[in-house]
Amino acid sequence: MISLSQEEKNYKVLFLGRIFLGLVFAYSGFTKLMEPVENFQGGMAAYEVIPYGVIPFLAHVIPWIEFLFGAFLILGYLPRVSALVLAAMSWSFVLLILTTRIVTGALPADCGCFGEGSLIHLKPLQVLLMDICNTAIGIRLACLKDHPFSLNLLLKNKDD
Amino acid sequence: MKINLRSFLTGVLLVLFLAGTVFFIKRNRPAPLPPSQPAPEVSVSRVTLKVLGPESAPVKLVEYSDFQCPSCRVVQADIQGLLKNYPGKIQLTYKHFPLTSHQWSAYAHQAAECMNAQGKFWAYHDKLYEAQAEWSPSKVPPVEILAGYAREQGADMDRFGACMADVAVARAIYAEKEEGNQRQVNATPTFFLGEERFVGPKEMQERGENAVRKVLGLSPKPPAPKKPEPLAPVPLKGALK
Repeated sequence: MISLSQEEKNYKVLFLGRIFLGLVFAYSGFTKLMEPVENFQGGMAAYEVIPYGVIPFLAHVIPWIEFLFGAFLILGYLPRVSALVLAAMSWSFVLLILTTRIVTGALPADCGCFGEGSLIHLKPLQVLLMDICNTAIGIRLACLKDHPFSLNLLLKNKDD
Repeated sequence: MKINLRSFLTGVLLVLFLAGTVFFIKRNRPAPLPPSQPAPEVSVSRVTLKVLGPESAPVKLVEYSDFQCPSCRVVQADIQGLLKNYPGKIQLTYKHFPLTSHQWSAYAHQAAECMNAQGKFWAYHDKLYEAQAEWSPSKVPPVEILAGYAREQGADMDRFGACMADVAVARAIYAEKEEGNQRQVNATPTFFLGEERFVGPKEMQERGENAVRKVLGLSPKPPAPKKPEPLAPVPLKGALK
């Protein structure tokens, strides 16, 4: 039986974390990009603490950030920056959910993360937990200097 | 410098490839149906159209809504306001869109459709929203409560009972929902005014009236002062990851 060193085990766990975080964001961004932007605008407007004036802008920008940085993380291109961006986004979602709950005393019935046709329907509290985990994963990944099976490593090795 | 340039070029190529993929898939997907056209593969023959307002009205508003959705209840006041402020100018068409996340929606929509068959849809529609707090939190299917509302409104209860057990009515409701799916509706309430889409009460409050005024050839109204009453949340789709 082959025994793995602690470092190798960590690498594997972190690689899986990277793929998970990347997939969640890439899928989430992709599904939003495939739909009319008004759907996402309506979704954001339900979190009543976001000023309505910025919602149309955010509704156009956020799905692209989610999709591109999610894909970057899966591929391992700029993994530390991508992980940091996604961790920051996850943390901002955590703050958004908490602020909405405190200010309005209620939360949207469904987070709306994956659409009505999706098999997954998460409630805001479930999303809150997932976002806390995602923040932790993102920060840990951002602290990792070398990412296994990454485009970054490939580019670095070619240069050596 | 060499590494930076290679990394930079890789990044540019990646962004171009990913963005290109998104645009390519989006362009080659079937376009959402315009709201004025019925979905071709959907049979809603068992569901009579639920229309309020004259056929000659220049503003045709289509609403996809869920009776158990709090936001759909909240937006009713705004819709009533529009109908009152522009009498004879707006025609509202109601479309069923029972959300999967609402456990009693299917019962409420079936009851409303059964009342529609008896020509009492709109009164029952108003009752369902007014009394949402009563039937929505029920621990068991609120069939008795819904039947009670129908009785209050003088429904033929034999017909109502038979209709509530009619699977064809349920199928027709979901066919109407499928029509919404084909128009890429994924949250309630969603309104269509021509090609324009409004999702949720906030959008309807912020942009709805001016969109109506635009169709009527009137100048836009200045933004209204913020309403003190907080909005009930929308059951979202496609919101935050």
